[in-house]
Order: sequence, then C-alpha cells, then structure tokens
Amino acid sequence: MGSEMGRLYEIPILSRGRVIPPTDDDCVEFSGRAGARFRCPDPHKHIHDLVLGDAGRLQDLHDLPIAKVMDFLAALGPRLKLADNPYLQESYDLALEAGGLTKPLMTRLYDSLPAMFDRARLEARIEATIGSRYLDSWVPQGTEGPASTVRIRAVGSRQLHITAGNVPIVAPQTVISGALTKSDILIKTPSNDPLTATAVVRTMIDMDPDHPVTRHFAVAYWKGGDSVMDAEVIRPSRIDKITAWGGMASMQHVQKHLKPGIDLVSANPKFSLSLVGHEALESDEAMQEAAMGVAIAAGRFNQTACASTRVVYVESGTDEESLAKLIRFGELVYEGFQSLPPHFSTPADEPNPSLEAEMRAIEMEDDFYWVKGDTVKGGVIVSRFEGRVDFAGELNNRVVNIVPLEDLTSMLGTIDDQAQTIGVYPTALRLRLRDQLAIRGAQRMLPLSSQLIDAVEGGAVPAAPHDGNETLRRMVRWMIDQGPAA
Amino acid sequence: MTISLLPETPGAWPEFGVADLFAVERAEREAVQLEAIRLRFARLRDKLPALRKLAEKQGVAQIDSLQDLIKICFDHRVMKNYPLAILENRDFPKLTAWLDKLTLHDLSRVDLGGLKSIDSWIERLQDFGLIIGTSSGTTGKLSFMPRSKSELSAWRSSWLVLQEAATGVDPLANPLPSFSTGYRSGHQMAMKPSQLFAQEMYGGRHNLYTLYNGHMSADLMALSGKMQAAEDKGELDRLDIDPELIEQRRQMIEQGRRRPQDMQIWFEKLLTDFRGQRVRIGGMSADLYRVAQAGLDKGLKADFAPGSLVATGGGMKSYKNAPDNWQEIIKTFFGADRLHTFYGFSESIGSQPECACGFYHFFPFTVPMMMGKDGELLPRQGVQKGRLAAFDLLAESFWGGFVTGDEVTMHFDDDCPCGWKGPRIEKTIRRYSEMEGGDDKITCAGSVKAYDEFMDYVMGAA
Repeated sequence: MGSEMGRLYEIPILSRGRVIPPTDDDCVEFSGRAGARFRCPDPHKHIHDLVLGDAGRLQDLHDLPIAKVMDFLAALGPRLKLADNPYLQESYDLALEAGGLTKPLMTRLYDSLPAMFDRARLEARIEATIGSRYLDSWVPQGTEGPASTVRIRAVGSRQLHITAGNVPIVAPQTVISGALTKSDILIKTPSNDPLTATAVVRTMIDMDPDHPVTRHFAVAYWKGGDSVMDAEVIRPSRIDKITAWGGMASMQHVQKHLKPGIDLVSANPKFSLSLVGHEALESDEAMQEAAMGVAIAAGRFNQTACASTRVVYVESGTDEESLAKLIRFGELVYEGFQSLPPHFSTPADEPNPSLEAEMRAIEMEDDFYWVKGDTVKGGVIVSRFEGRVDFAGELNNRVVNIVPLEDLTSMLGTIDDQAQTIGVYPTALRLRLRDQLAIRGAQRMLPLSSQLIDAVEGGAVPAAPHDGNETLRRMVRWMIDQGPAA
Repeated sequence: MTISLLPETPGAWPEFGVADLFAVERAEREAVQLEAIRLRFARLRDKLPALRKLAEKQGVAQIDSLQDLIKICFDHRVMKNYPLAILENRDFPKLTAWLDKLTLHDLSRVDLGGLKSIDSWIERLQDFGLIIGTSSGTTGKLSFMPRSKSELSAWRSSWLVLQEAATGVDPLANPLPSFSTGYRSGHQMAMKPSQLFAQEMYGGRHNLYTLYNGHMSADLMALSGKMQAAEDKGELDRLDIDPELIEQRRQMIEQGRRRPQDMQIWFEKLLTDFRGQRVRIGGMSADLYRVAQAGLDKGLKADFAPGSLVATGGGMKSYKNAPDNWQEIIKTFFGADRLHTFYGFSESIGSQPECACGFYHFFPFTVPMMMGKDGELLPRQGVQKGRLAAFDLLAESFWGGFVTGDEVTMHFDDDCPCGWKGPRIEKTIRRYSEMEGGDDKITCAGSVKAYDEFMDYVMGAA
C-alpha cells in the first residue's frame, strides 16, 4: 500500500546550464512509486526558464558544426559511469526502489550508458539518418541550373519531449537524439522516472555549463494533465515539435493544446508478440530452439518493455494430441525463463497481484487453459482453444500466453500499429508473413532462436527507425533555399 | 430485544428488523456466523466443482476458522474466467458448462435449443430456476452471478431491511413514487431489485419513473468491444449478429449523445408533476449532481414534500472532475438533509447501509474479512486497511466467499456512535485497478484500450 513515508528527493529544474533547486518558498511536492516523495521548484514560476520563446536564440547551435556536438556527447559518455556519478547513483537507487526492474537488469542498463555516447555510434547514426552535411550546410539538390539551384538544410527546432519512465534508457536516448538535431530540448520527466534525465543533463552542466548544447537543454517535472503548464508550454510560439510517449491519458492531455504549427510524434504504447510455425513442434531440437527464442523475446527487460513478447501464436491444432505437444512447448518456454542469464532476465522481486489473480482465476478453468508458474518465477498459459487470454494486455513478469492456431494468418486481423516487435520461427515463416504484417502496421520482426540474446544485445542498427518512425528526420525542420548558383 | 439466529437457516435472518440485527452481540454473532459458514462449506464443497477444485488446491477440507475460509474465497475474476470468445460467438453450450461449475442447479438439463442472444440465454436459465445478474467491471467483460429462485425470499427481505436501514423509511409501509436515471429493464445486477421487488419497493412498477423505458441489453454490453472493432474496420455488417442488435446499438449511441438534454427535460417534468409530493430520487450520483447544478444555475430548486428521499449509489466514479461539494449541491437542489447511500458488490446478495455517522455497516448475514498484501487474513480488531473479502450467508446455491477488488478501511470494534453493532467501513473506498500508477506514469508498453463509445454512453461517462 506504500502508505509509509518514503525518502524525500530534491529535484532541481535544469535550465540552459543553470541548476534551480527547490527552496521553501518555491517548491511543490509530488509522489512516485513505492512511496517515494519528490520536491521540485514550482514549474508554474519557471515557464520562461523552460521554453525558448525566441527561436532566434537557436543561432549558436545552428552555427556549431555537428562534429562539435558529437565531440561534446562523446566527452559526456565517460562521465556517465554509475560508479563515479552521484546523480546517476541517486536515480539508480530510486529506480531500484520503484521496483520496475530487478537489480542485475538495472545495473546492466546503467552500465550501458557510456557506450550509448560512443562517438562512432553517434556518427553512424547521424549519417544514416539526417546526414551531417545537411545539419551543417545548405546541400544542393539535383543538377545545378544556370538560374536557380535548390539547396536543402536540416534546421534545429524547439522540442518538447514527454518521456516514458519504465525503462531508464529512454532519458539518455532523448538527450542524444535531441542534441544530434541541434535543437532546443525541453524534457518533461515522468513520475515513474523523474531523475535519470536530470542526472544526465546535470552531468552535462558540470562538464560545461556554457556549451551551446548545454545551453539548449531544460529538464523539469510537472504533473501530466496540468493544463496551465500544458497551455503555457505547448504554443506554436514556443514549441515546434513534440515527442509524446504514453497512453491515451498522456496523449489526450497533449492533444488538447495542439495547434497548427506544432508537429506531434506519438510514441504510444506498443504490444509485442511471436509467431511460431508448425516446424517447431516437429522435433525436439526445433522445439527447444523456438522455446528458447520465445523465452528470450519475452524475458528481455523482464517483459517490461514494449518490445517484449506477451502472446505467442503457434501453428497447431486444438485436438488433445496437438495440445499435449503445445503444453510440452510451454514447459520448455518456462524452463527457458529459468535458464536466462541474470544480467539479461531474472525472477521478479515481487509478485504482480492483479496478474497473479487473473492466473489463479483461469487456472480453475482447465477446460480452456493450462497454467504453469507465477508472476515471480515467470509463467506460461496455454490456451486450449484458438484465442488469447482476455487480459493479454496485462501480461508481464515473464508470463506468456501460448495460443494454438490452425492457420497462423488468422491472427493477421489483430495486427495494427500497436504491434511493435514480432518474433518469428522459423526464418521461412518470417519471409512469408513479412509484407502482410508490414501493411497492417507491424514495426519490426526478429528471428526466434537461442542466439537471440547476442542479436538483441548487439545493439540496434544505427539508422533503425523507432516504432516505424524516422524520429530524427522528423524532429528537424527541412528548409529549402532556392536561388542562383553560387 | 435479544434475537436468536440459527446457523442452519441464515436465509431467514433478514426477516428480523434493523434494530435487532444491529444489536446482536459480537461474540454471539461471530460464533453463529462461523458455524453457518462451516455448515455451508460442508454442504457445498462436493457439489460445486469450482469450489472443490479450489479447496483441494488450497488443502482445505473443513472450515474451523476464518483463516481457512479466506484461502477458499473466489477472487471476483472467477465469475468471468470464461474466454471472451465463447460469449462473442454465443457458444451457449460452452457458456452453460462454464456456469454449471458455479451453481448447485444442474445446468446440463437446460434445453439450449433456439437461443440467439445472451439475453435469451439468461432468460432461459431464469425459467429453469436461476436469477442471473451481470456486472461489468473496469475491463468491460461481463461477470455472471448465478443466484437461484431459492434465494429470492432472503434476497427480498435483505433488500427491504437494507432500504429501511439506509433511509429510515420502511418501503412496505411507505411506497413512494420513485425516479431512476437508468433504463427500465436489464440483467445488470444493480438493476435487478427494481424489477424483482417493484411491488414491495414502490407499490408497483407504475410508480417507478425511469429516464429511458428501454431495456439494457446484455448482448450489447458483451459485444460492444467486438462491434466497435468491427465498425472501425467497416465490417459491422459482416459480424454474425442479429441486424436488430446493430440497430439497437446505433439507437443507444444516438440516445447517449442526447442523454444530458434528455435527463434535463425528464427531470424538469418530474419536478412539476410531483411538486409537493413525497418522492424517492435515485440514480447515479453523477447524474443527480449534473441535474442539481443545472437547476441551481437556472435559479431553480426542487419543491418536493418534506420526507422525500435522495438515495444514490455509484459514488462519482464516472465523473472525474466533480467539485468537492457535489453532495452539498445535490442536497441544496433537492432540499434533502442527507443523501442515503449503501455499499454493495454484485457477488454478494446483502448490501451495507450507511449509518448516521457515515459508515457502511455489515448485517450479520454478510461476514466481512480484511485481506493483507499477501492474501493473509488481517486481525479482526481495531481499524484495518486492506482488501475486502466477504462471505455471503444468504448464498445457498452458489459459493458465498468472495475477494473483492476494493480497498477499504474497516472498523471491527462495536463502537460506532450511531449505536449499530457489527463491523463497518469508512466511506472512502478505492478500486485496486484504479490505484495502479494513475495517469502520470508513462510507459512504452501495454495496449491502449480500444475507444468504446458505446460503453461510454450507456455508462453515462461520456
């Protein structure tokens, strides 16, 4: 119930190189998960510290070569080592207390921060998306005409990022992509992770408070749906682009204030699943391989991320013999969960009461379901008919629902733009379904195999679009300059 | 006066009056309750497959204490643990077989021939001897509560004693013209008493005035999600659904859009027609608040006779931005000195009236238990906050032990200044499903619930 008073965290507003701490005269308190309490300056008094009302003040960043931006980020990376960085340590402690991820996973995630700022990675990313020369110069298009030439430049914008807090790497990702677009960045932190973005940008301020990149970052918390804040911030005179994570509530708050001239990139919640062909049930080796793939696809980040598989459709009949095989497959997925390395996936620290109750309730219905495990160790629910559990959206804590389908394509009707990552076994099936999934809105396919850990750990391709969006390219403005050849 | 409650026949307990029921001493009450639960379990254990299964899993062979009982209370989700697909496909044999595990009635003997709708299935079961009430929780999936006609008399007397306790007025002696902002008929559990006990409550159906005279179709509620999805894809006509149902849905959505105006007009007519008369005003709090606020804005005030009752339920669940003084506004407009409320849940036949001091009290025929975080029974003393579980002693044909989705604060000691004895809860009741996270926690994972305008309209949330 979390009624006991948790620790009080002091969270400053960060504004263009300045740290504005809360004071007794200027503070608001709010609470987060696990009873934690926060105190920050009253954002209503700091609107002008947060927004950039005059776009002309982007000039300094505009004039800074992207190579210098990358140099700056690359120098920031090594300062984001958990062991040496007190701001990150505070954010790490809070994240652990909040209990979204277990300690081994959280440690691993924080340890991955410096590498995210690796110069070669930044460079590859920028070249594969916007292109550095578009950020630094007016790039002529086509053949130069005698009278006129078209030149295009990617121009920084004023961006608001309403970020998600379930996985702490969203914060550094936002900082990187913001800086790489040579833009003015305002980050509104979520109540489930108010500290990570603050920690990264504070480290930036400690490093060089007057650097143009630092001078274009602001970080603050205000309550989602605070209509005064939203109305003050979300104005075409103050913000050009918004990236909004989150569900209906979060999106509706933003939409109320959208006006022509403000561009919205919505990173709405996603749902991921896997598709397994009949081949997986035909030999022990194949079954083992596919089951391990499912365990990895569902177990990563302990199934808290949008890319985590929750429902697994298997090409199978619903006669007793087929169901017996499917249950054997379910047993292997369960064993797979138990065998995952602790830095990759672990048992949960605490049960998930609501999901646990759903599992115990359907466990009594063995005409329809086979249930193994729980919300601590992980679990598997095999449907004995062609349908997923009615609480599929709640599946978490490494609990998957395995659903038999005589014809796998019958699930295509459920695919829409919420389908983020689709794990597939075997490869031939991936190729067969790829286009059908694509046109319905699916965003990413992944081969299910025991090698999948290496594949997902290897990091994303630098230019991989996020959720079907070319985010970087959308967050800059593209200006045309037409005139006589120089 | 001292009354004698027999553990063998708790269904007769509500026949006693309010004062007597709330005067039973704690030791006596708890002893007879435990004995009644022990007898009930011994009788039902081998006859209800769902109960037997849970009892076997939990290793409970008999009940010697509430510690045993809490282990074998059904989570409220058990009443809807069927796959939604069998309802959407109206697979009545499977649905009946599912329900059969939860009731003493042998449903394998029900003739399921010719059934086309969920409403007709419910009516067929009612002809057979059950009374089915539905309930839709926060997820919209329907629960089915299989009560029996054998419980009808206990249900009736518990309902009347509840009304008398909550309002101070015995409805049998004072049948008042009554208003309700809902529909005229339907199988939702909350709508059942006004249909089953109209004679006792209002002196007849003619004396109940509802906003709409239509029927709240269980099919529309059960299929609304599927119909919305089909409509989004432009495939509504491809669903294997009676076209009449599709037309009904269209009409109800239309009606939902007009609801605020309809309610205004309907209420203004009642204000005129019943001026100076003693009436009972019922319905959802949010509706009454809107009517009251709109009336006050126009400088109007209701002018019913003294002794009129405002009996509301539902809290302000569907109305998020209600002002803090919404109760005052309702009272001012209707000229009532208090609002009469009670607290109940569809799994249990008995409900809890609010006392003069603002607590909901449990009658002896409902045994409340408090559950801690790990499902353990919290001590039955002092003040305890936790999840409410309860055993319904009026349930003879189904298992009466349930764990609710509500967080409540329970006072176990018999020290309410109102004078009523028995455990009582504070009025602040929260649903666990709504407490998780709130609107400010943002994540990238999950599934957006399909916007279902039908449910929004019929539930009055739009």
